[in-house]
Amino acid sequence: MHRHFDEELTELKKQLLTMGSLTEEAIAQAVEALKRLEAEAARRIIEEDSRIDRLDLDIDEKCLELIIRHQPVAADLRFLAMAMRICASLERIADLAVDICQRVVEMAGQPLLKPLIDIPKLVGLARGMLRDSLDGFVRSDVAPARSVIKRDDEADRLRDLIQTELVTDFMMKDAATAPRAVALLLVSRHLERICDHTTNIAEDVIYMVEGAMVRHSPDM
Amino acid sequence: MSLIEVEGLSLFYGNFQALKDITLGIEERRITALIGPSGCGKSTFLRCLNRMNDLIEGVRLTGRVTIDGEDINRPETDLLRLRKKVGMVFQRANPFPLSVQDNVIFGLRVHGLTDREMVDKRLRRSLESVWLWDELKDKLRVNALELSGEQQQRLCIARLVALEPEVLLMDEPCSALDPLATERIEQLMFELKERYTIVIVTHNMHQAARVSEAAGYFLMGELVEFGETGQVFSSPRDRRTEDYITGRYG
Repeated sequence: MHRHFDEELTELKKQLLTMGSLTEEAIAQAVEALKRLEAEAARRIIEEDSRIDRLDLDIDEKCLELIIRHQPVAADLRFLAMAMRICASLERIADLAVDICQRVVEMAGQPLLKPLIDIPKLVGLARGMLRDSLDGFVRSDVAPARSVIKRDDEADRLRDLIQTELVTDFMMKDAATAPRAVALLLVSRHLERICDHTTNIAEDVIYMVEGAMVRHSPDM
Repeated sequence: MSLIEVEGLSLFYGNFQALKDITLGIEERRITALIGPSGCGKSTFLRCLNRMNDLIEGVRLTGRVTIDGEDINRPETDLLRLRKKVGMVFQRANPFPLSVQDNVIFGLRVHGLTDREMVDKRLRRSLESVWLWDELKDKLRVNALELSGEQQQRLCIARLVALEPEVLLMDEPCSALDPLATERIEQLMFELKERYTIVIVTHNMHQAARVSEAAGYFLMGELVEFGETGQVFSSPRDRRTEDYITGRYG
C-alpha cells in the first residue's frame, strides 16, 4: 500500500545526506587548511558551520513533527529515532572540524612543527568511516556499518602514536615546541573523536536496520 | 508457569477454522493486548478464555486452555464459577436497565451473597475501584442507562470487580468512547492490573502500545507474533506484523 508517510521519510533521508556531505566536506577543508596553515580558510569553514547547525535544527524539528503526526512504530520508529541521533552525531562531527580550524588559527603564522604523516592517515580513516556509515544508512546495509565499528580501534592506535611522538620527540626535548605540539595533539584528539561519532552512527544504522542494539557491547 | 496457558488451540465454526493452533502464555497481573485486522480471530480467541464461544452453535474446539492450572474445557467445569473468575467487558457498555446499585450487586445476588453489610462493602469498594464512588455515591438509585457512555463502561467493570475475578477480558472496551473517555478507561486499566490480569482486544494499535506489557498479532486465525510490547512495536520479528503495525497491510 502506498503511504504518503514514505515520501516524507525519503525527503528526511535526503536532508540527512545533505548534512552528511556538508560535514564530510568540512572535515576535508579543515585538513587542507591545516596542511597549509591558512587562517583565512579556517575562519571561512568556522563561519560555514552555521549551515550545518541550521540543518541540525530543521531535521530535528521534522523528525518530531513526523512522530507527532504519524505516531510511528517498528521500522518507521527506528528510522526516525536514529535519524535524530545521527543528526546529532553529524553536528558534533562538524563542530570537531571547527575545533580543528581553531587549532589552525592558533598555529597560523608559524611553521608546522613537523611534516604531517600520521595525521593525514587518521584523516583518511575518519573520512572513510564517515562515508561508510552514511552509505550503510542510505542503503539500509549493516555491512559497511559493521566495518566502521571495527576500524575504531585503528583510530585510537593512530591517535596514541601521534601523541607519543609529539610528547617524546618534541615536548620533552624542547619546551619551546609545546604550544605547536599541543595544537597538533589536540588535532589528533579531534580526529579520533570524529571516528568515535562515526562509530555511533554505524551503531545507529545497525539498530535502524536490524532492531538490535549494539551500543556498549564489545562483541557487537 | 503462566496464569493462562493456551496450547495448540484450534477453533472451528462448522468447516471454517477460525483459530489455528494457538500457543501462548498470559502472565498474571499484566495487560496483554491482542491486535489484528477484522476477522483475524482475536475476539474469538478472547472468548475461548471464559468459554463464551459455547453459546455459538456448531463451534468445535481442540487444544487446551488452562487457567490456574485448571483445564477450563473439561465437561465438569462450573461455567458460572469460570465466568465469575474470568469476567468480560464488551465493546458497547451493557448495563442492565436497573439502578447503579443494582447493577453492581446483581452478580453478588446470583452467586448467593445476601449479607447486607458485605454487599454494601462490595458495592462501595467496586465503585471506588473504577473511580465512580465519588461521582455516584448520591445517585446509587439512578437508572444506569442515564449515565454517560464512559461511566456505563466503568460501571460494567465495577459489576465484574464486585465478583472479585482474577482475569478481566476486554473486547474493544474503548471503541465507542471519545479520546478523553478512552484516556480514563486506560488509566483505570493501569490501576486494575495491580489486582487483575487483563487481556484486551483492540483495533487501536496505539492503544495496545500504550497500555500493554505483552502483545500478540493475529492474522487469519494464526498468532503471527507474541512478545513483550516494546519488542513487538519497535522491532517485530515477523514481516507480517511489521506491515500491519506500520499501516502497509492491505
